[in-house]
Amino acid sequence: MERRKFIKNSALASLTIPFMFKNYSYAAITEPLFNLKRSVEDKVLVLICLNGGNDGLNTVIPMDAYANLYKQRTNIILPENKLIPITTKNAFHPAMTGMANLLQKGKLSVIQNVGYPTQNRSHFRSTDIWTSGSLEQTITTGWLGRNFENDFPGFPDGFPNETYKDPFAISMGYEVSATCQGVLGNFSHTVNNPNDALNVSLSTAVNDGSYYGSHMEFLSTIIAQTNKYGTRVLEAAKKGKNLSQKYDIKNQIARQLKYVAQMISGGLKTNVYVVNVSGFDTHDSQVLESDTTLGNHANLLQSVSDAIEAFQDDLNLLGLDKRVAGMTFSEFGRQIASNASFGTDHGDAAPLFLFGSCLETPIYGSNPVISDQITHQDGVPMEIDFRDVYASILKDWFEVSPIDIQKMFAHEIKFHRIIGGCTLRMDEVAEDGTLTLLYPNPISITATLRFVTANEFVKVSVYSLLGQEQQNMYEGMLTQEVHKLPLDFSDLPAGNYVLRIQKNSGEEKVNFVKLNA
Amino acid sequence: MSLETYSGVWDEQVASHLLRRTMFGPTFQQIKYATQQGMETIIDELLILPASNLPLVVSDKEAVVSQGQTWVDSPFPVSNPQETQNARNESLAGWVFQNISNESLSIHEKMTLFWQNHFAVEESNDARATYYYYKLLRDNALGNFKDLVKKITINPSMLQFLNGNSNTKNSPNENYSRELLELFSIGKGEQVGEGDYTNYTESDIKEGAKILTGWRIDGVQSSISTKVNATFIASKHDTTTKNLSSRLGNKVVVNGNENEYANYIDILFETDHAAQFICKKLYRWFVNYAITPVVQLNVIDPMVQLLRMHNYELKPVIKALLSSSHFYAITNRGTIIKNPIELVFSMLNSTGSKISYTTPINYDFYSQLGGICAVMGMNYFRPPNVGGWPAYYQAPNYTRLWINSSYVNLRFLISSVLTLTDKFTSKVDKTKSWQIDLIAFIQGLSSPSDPVQLIDDLALVFCPKGLTQDAKTKLRFILTNGLPDFEWTVQYDEYVKNPSDISMKKALMTRVGLTLDSLFKLPEFQTI
Repeated sequence: MERRKFIKNSALASLTIPFMFKNYSYAAITEPLFNLKRSVEDKVLVLICLNGGNDGLNTVIPMDAYANLYKQRTNIILPENKLIPITTKNAFHPAMTGMANLLQKGKLSVIQNVGYPTQNRSHFRSTDIWTSGSLEQTITTGWLGRNFENDFPGFPDGFPNETYKDPFAISMGYEVSATCQGVLGNFSHTVNNPNDALNVSLSTAVNDGSYYGSHMEFLSTIIAQTNKYGTRVLEAAKKGKNLSQKYDIKNQIARQLKYVAQMISGGLKTNVYVVNVSGFDTHDSQVLESDTTLGNHANLLQSVSDAIEAFQDDLNLLGLDKRVAGMTFSEFGRQIASNASFGTDHGDAAPLFLFGSCLETPIYGSNPVISDQITHQDGVPMEIDFRDVYASILKDWFEVSPIDIQKMFAHEIKFHRIIGGCTLRMDEVAEDGTLTLLYPNPISITATLRFVTANEFVKVSVYSLLGQEQQNMYEGMLTQEVHKLPLDFSDLPAGNYVLRIQKNSGEEKVNFVKLNA
Repeated sequence: MSLETYSGVWDEQVASHLLRRTMFGPTFQQIKYATQQGMETIIDELLILPASNLPLVVSDKEAVVSQGQTWVDSPFPVSNPQETQNARNESLAGWVFQNISNESLSIHEKMTLFWQNHFAVEESNDARATYYYYKLLRDNALGNFKDLVKKITINPSMLQFLNGNSNTKNSPNENYSRELLELFSIGKGEQVGEGDYTNYTESDIKEGAKILTGWRIDGVQSSISTKVNATFIASKHDTTTKNLSSRLGNKVVVNGNENEYANYIDILFETDHAAQFICKKLYRWFVNYAITPVVQLNVIDPMVQLLRMHNYELKPVIKALLSSSHFYAITNRGTIIKNPIELVFSMLNSTGSKISYTTPINYDFYSQLGGICAVMGMNYFRPPNVGGWPAYYQAPNYTRLWINSSYVNLRFLISSVLTLTDKFTSKVDKTKSWQIDLIAFIQGLSSPSDPVQLIDDLALVFCPKGLTQDAKTKLRFILTNGLPDFEWTVQYDEYVKNPSDISMKKALMTRVGLTLDSLFKLPEFQTI
């Protein structure tokens, strides 16, 4: 996200990026180049809000506590033999075959027992807490909104503009997302259907030939024309595509995620997509009395699970999977003990899911401890603060500096290593101890080369696997430090290549894949 | 031929139509009340003009009068009067919009804006003159049209604005004379010959200018005079006999000195032209822009007869119009697109939200709201020209002129700021911010704990023809965040039991704010 700030503040904004450094002395542009994080700019976070409070204990079942769970929620417990084991100590709800598949492939993570101190069991208050990322009732901005606000104070004044044509965030449906609320404007733009993106109003008024009807038509038309972001979304929708056959269009979440993939593949520069799913408020009939693996909750989990699996499949096929990560969240979990209506009441912490190709671990955090006594009204205690999950995503996915992140949250942040596995964290060295890194890789158009030099002459060039030089990327004197060179690969045909860094202090080679742009 | 009185069903839909047209933003309670009272009673109540208050000093740049007092009859300081003038203008800006915000169940504010559009002047360089000009409009909002034209003619602000002040026998200035005929009284008819506008001719403008000579103003930014005065200077007056054209009955106006202008205006009001002109304007303001031959025959002509019968008293005509079956016809609902002031103050007034701070902070917020209206195309203090805002005369678009892409962006922005944030901040005291009182608003609805009823009430208050079931369902989904309806009920009832629970209140505010923001961005909401 920081690239935008750079362009906004820099005279270089008017220049095209490819090869501009050939004509400039490196020293003059070394500062701004360090802020030029094309890969970060391209990163996308998809938020799936499970509204109502998801019953975590019937979603990710702690098998070491199964016997005690059975005592506490006998009427809704899922039979052990129907569960999908994912580790020796954890299992998924039987409806979650899609997410189980993803987890096995390393494309899904469970973050256990996420919540916050002193749980508020009011839907609306707890939703406010989760969307604002703050326990302070006076905070009216959203956690993502604050991050955008850092880069674009004054929004929406002056947006969209020539540099930032696309919505910063898209909220699927008719309602802007509170997660993206800025100081004055909300950074999320609503899209109900990207193929009809100009139309964002929930109005159903028609022109019936009356004066009023003609006003309705006129107003709707102008409102649609006003929707400059809508025009961009529509363009992206036209260019975009879906490749997965796994979407079930009868599944509303799948439909919305399909739209999201279509917009991303269409080249929209939007960083955040928000999808809302309702129905998790399962006070009664959470399960069927006759078969606890069926019922409302099972249907919901299956919808979410199938949809995420299809979406991830689509991203893989589109070659977008390393750019996109997803997270589910819900305002609270539900109580450990079930009620007599085959349901559960508002509780405390619950697991949340991350999905994508750049995750760190299948299960993060320990299983909840469940008492062998029925403990009315008890929820699962919080282990991981949701704000730390947010902070870790901002740091390791969007590469926001830890200092800036801390400013966005009231508590002292503890970062968790849960995401970002495709690239090095900004404050870490590679596993093998070297700093050299080309990211992203595979490359669609641009990438960044991170490497260290002495005070020396350096040449960076692309070679074929057969050792023939294809393209010279950079030549010049560099000072002794860590550099992040933005490189433009748009002229390179798709294929496998070697990036060769020639310097006196030791030559380095990085293999990379260039995708069809 | 007369205006047929409405005798159909008197329900909330019908009553709310009356209130939306006669007020900036009726509340739900006012709609209920109007429904209970019945049409005749409520129209009588709407036609009562409440007493007006005075603009107060709010800036320390005011050099003569202390804070919290009124300055309207106070001289200017000897040195640097412009600073005080600026301070007084600031006060006027706050005062004008505070009046609109504080409207009672009365047509007063809507009529005052009608006259500000009709007798469109720019603010004077002496705020006292501006104030007394507005006061004239306020005091005569439902008065006698002919008298008002006479009073306006020698009003210091108007004399200043249209150069009556420099209209002398040796150097006549036709500016006011022309606008008096064209825009303020009888209106310009079709041009049927050179200099012949059917209702009057160029020579009448020339003769009229002579009639109006001799009026001067004094006391502008004076450190002695307590007000700006209009005085008649006989030596500057053209005492010759003026001959009006055949369009004005070949009337001869003999010298009448300081009464001559009034004699002239009496002549102008002898035919139906003035009545036709003002009745059409009233019709466009209150009913619909389209004046078809049928409307002309069945509505305008009867209004004209009534106005003449009552010797230009406006109240009987407006009462007849608001009582007519034509006014309530379903085809005349939602036919007017809100002007920016109607837009902003429908958000405030219909939610019962007033700026809750005392002077000077309240004036600051009100003047900021006025500033927002100005960027949306309606600067109260500077109508675009002497004809007022084009939305009320320019065919074929009329009130559609309030809508374009930039204005829509601003309309949406002000909605979001007032419903979703607490960042509308006082310039006087940056620690003070304000937003719509979302919770008090829903508490005033019929059954706020019932989300279905709540959305029905919103549609009634804000949408002239209601909303479809589909749109209501979508709004309800936003209100409840997609939860089952009972969860809203539980949350709301919990808050009612613990009103001091601020976090609970804020959480409800989020939901109501998102719902209102969506509603305020609907095409339906843009109309009255």
